[in-house]
Amino acid sequence: MINLIVIVVSAAMFAMVLVWWRWPAFRTWIEAPKYFMLRQEQRFDDRNATRTASLDL
Amino acid sequence: MTTFSEQSLDREELRNGQSAGELPSTEYGLIRAHVFASLATLLISALFGLLVATKFNFPEFLGGHAWLTWGRLRYNHTQGIFFGWLGNAFLAFFYYAVPRLANRPVLSRKLGWFLFCTWNFAVVLPGWVLVAAGFSQPLEWAEFPLVVDVFVVLAFILMVFEFVLPFLRARLSDLYVSAWYVIGGIIFTMLAYPVGNVVPELVPGAQGAAFSGLWIHDAVGLFVTPFAVAIAYYVIPATTRRAIFSHFLSMVGFWLLFFMYPLNGTHHYVYSAIPMAAQKGAIVASAYLGMDVILVVTNLLLSLRGGSGIVGRDVPLRFVWFGVVSYLLVSLQGSVQALMPVNRFIHFTDWVIGHSHFAMIGFGSFIALGGIAHFWQRIPGTRYNERTMNWSFWLLAAGITLMVADLTMAGLVEAQVWESSAPWIDSVRSVSSYWLVRTFSGLPILAGFVLFWTSLVTGPRASAESATAALREASENISVFEGNASIAHEPSFSNRFSYVHVIIFGAGVGFFALSFLVLAILPGKELADEIKRVAPVTMPTLTASEQRGRVIYGREGCAYCHTEQIRSLAADVRRFGAPTEAWETKYDYPQLWGTRRIGPDLSREFNLRSRDWQLTHLYNPRLVVRDSVMPPYPWLFNGSASQPTQEALDLLVHLQSLGRARQLSGLDGQPMAASVQPETPDMAMASEPSARATPPTVPIPMTGGYSPSAPVLHPASDAGDLQEEVSRGAVLFAANCASCHGPAGRGDGRASASLLPKPANLTAARFSDERLSSVLWDGVAGSAMPPWRELPTEDLRALVAYVESLHTPSAPPSTQDATILVAGKVLFSANCASCHGDTGSGNGPAAAALAPSPTNFHLKKPTEERAWEVLGNGVPGTAMPPWQSQLSKDQRHALVEFVRSLYGTPEENSGQ
Repeated sequence: MINLIVIVVSAAMFAMVLVWWRWPAFRTWIEAPKYFMLRQEQRFDDRNATRTASLDL
Repeated sequence: MTTFSEQSLDREELRNGQSAGELPSTEYGLIRAHVFASLATLLISALFGLLVATKFNFPEFLGGHAWLTWGRLRYNHTQGIFFGWLGNAFLAFFYYAVPRLANRPVLSRKLGWFLFCTWNFAVVLPGWVLVAAGFSQPLEWAEFPLVVDVFVVLAFILMVFEFVLPFLRARLSDLYVSAWYVIGGIIFTMLAYPVGNVVPELVPGAQGAAFSGLWIHDAVGLFVTPFAVAIAYYVIPATTRRAIFSHFLSMVGFWLLFFMYPLNGTHHYVYSAIPMAAQKGAIVASAYLGMDVILVVTNLLLSLRGGSGIVGRDVPLRFVWFGVVSYLLVSLQGSVQALMPVNRFIHFTDWVIGHSHFAMIGFGSFIALGGIAHFWQRIPGTRYNERTMNWSFWLLAAGITLMVADLTMAGLVEAQVWESSAPWIDSVRSVSSYWLVRTFSGLPILAGFVLFWTSLVTGPRASAESATAALREASENISVFEGNASIAHEPSFSNRFSYVHVIIFGAGVGFFALSFLVLAILPGKELADEIKRVAPVTMPTLTASEQRGRVIYGREGCAYCHTEQIRSLAADVRRFGAPTEAWETKYDYPQLWGTRRIGPDLSREFNLRSRDWQLTHLYNPRLVVRDSVMPPYPWLFNGSASQPTQEALDLLVHLQSLGRARQLSGLDGQPMAASVQPETPDMAMASEPSARATPPTVPIPMTGGYSPSAPVLHPASDAGDLQEEVSRGAVLFAANCASCHGPAGRGDGRASASLLPKPANLTAARFSDERLSSVLWDGVAGSAMPPWRELPTEDLRALVAYVESLHTPSAPPSTQDATILVAGKVLFSANCASCHGDTGSGNGPAAAALAPSPTNFHLKKPTEERAWEVLGNGVPGTAMPPWQSQLSKDQRHALVEFVRSLYGTPEENSGQ
């Protein structure tokens, strides 16, 4: 049973790597959230900077 | 040009009813509340830990109070760190990160405060109080009682609504890896917690242990790890203002973690009665998990490429960096220690305690502290004091490094002693100095936590200019994703992949269920079949008193120092007896196998020690074992060891029932189980008595005062060598025997007041080599004298030499008058022979039923005073009655002369 699990997990991981390697569109899609996160970080920080400024005033 | 991210955000906001540019609200009040709750519980839990560590060197410290005993403090230490500190810290992070990651607020502020109150006032606080009051569950990482577990599960359900729902309303394909870790951690912990906490109460012994093993690992793998990694994946890009190295690798790491972590559980029970297939599966999964961690950490560290300067400057990022590096090291350590050649050596030792502190402090706590410091600097109105925060980091880093190094070395020392034939207490003595260092290493850690809190409340108020400038500067460094945005944004493409995450999440849940099937349900069924097949039909059930005793054993944390499982290893078998089989645990609800040995295994305690020895040991362990670090339990007694309460008696009968089923089944007389056969070459040291595979399971009754199976240890004949042996024996005697027999061997040690029969006055008789060797080898059945065969042969010989030296040769018998000896013989035959035998060899018809067995006067010659005393008063606690009222003084005199004349005569072995 454990052999089967290891084989299935390994195969799934290799399949993902294969898709990533063969399909540039997948790469673009899977990497997009890391930029979304940064953009959100910038937006929230900008808002908080404004709030901090208003607090000081 | 509008970037992909911006288009995506605009679309999201329109869908959420937000106007473009509007941001979801963040619950700053809840963040602050959880931060302060986390730090308050952290300080209390760390203090508990420091007290626990101190008690290793000073076991009497706060020892008289049940609420402050070692076991209960230890429960509250780990549960406080788990629920109080890390739980609150993670919740604070969720309130900060979820609105940013989901671009939606958390579900409800009111729900948030309800969750806060549930977590702290229905889980942490009552959990601590109940454990301190003696209501607990003796399962690793599940020590809070079942009533608290209900609120834990409720809290996780609330977390699903509060934090997971906002993510589900967002576009799954936009979710950053931290969001996935938050979702996965909450859902998988919610599923695993009840299984790990409730099922072992319903499934006995070995079967329950299979489930316990899952939770022990899931607590770290599905709660601490995902949330800590989520913070790391959040803080690193948010600080450096650069995207992580690869989101693809982060997602591969995420799914591998959730696929493989649940499959690790049984590696806590390697070489146990759990089917070997499950054990090996867990070991393979552990190795696989190590590879996953390498992947995750590589991705995280590559995300810092070129940014090492920031790690040096930014203290929160430095905390996270330290945690990430610790994650790599502790995970690889975990994978290695699951491997059988390593596991057999270090399991149950302080090595594992070092490992768990490395995981919970070095990894989990450092990242949580970094996360708190990171967002503390970014929420309105709060800033930390950088100088104090810096000191906090270095104190914590120094403390945990010292602690882990020290405990790892202590573990290796313990393992070395356990592999040898040295007495168990030698392993305690040998790591005493390491425990002292561990306690001191806790001081900088506690100070570091205090300084961390101080830095949060003493931070400067940021000026508008500096805060805005810092954030603007940071924003300029953002590398906004633009490449291939048009491809990514195509609806057809998004649709094509939109279900990928859902499918993989479904697979993750499937794997989670599979872990229970493979590691718990299937092995459990196999064990149930085995128990049905093997368990003797006459196996006695537990009495009500024994069941109450189990509860007391559990509530006092005994299972954290004593295992109730003998592993299929030569070192275990040699020391404790036959490996524990599943059927022996069929009435154990919940299992008390334990995961640590400070004291010896107790699986074969049945008949091993006398009732009064056990009670004295419970009242104050150092009365009978001088260097013991076991806590005293005076609240189980009414002022003295000889006045036990019903609870002490219940605990006593529980201890004395351990191994009873096996012994009554007669299996111990058979050759070793097949499962131990591969280890037998390790035991092939039969020429050395101390290395024999037969463990000292019980004191063996010795009719005639001599055991033919015991090796006869003759002290050296050379005067110089003998003196050396006597000196060596004196040291051994002081360390191992004086607590009962007294420092001068007069039977007046500290424990003697509560032992019956009293420890022998070794100065009041002359003993033969055979008698002393037999007693040391087999103990004295019916008394508190245990077998000492675990001592090396040379030590036993030295003890024989020393005890023989205690006897001062007295004047020859006052008379050699044959008529008195004849009269004595006649009286002896009439009154004493039924027990002591016709020839005084201790083998009379009644002897076999008596414990302690009657004295063989050919092997033991009492002093005249002692003989008179025994005839006059008898020997309390034995079958020897007083003869003062039945025999005249002349008759007793004749008997004294007779029995003293027998020593060393040819009949000495007639008792065999």
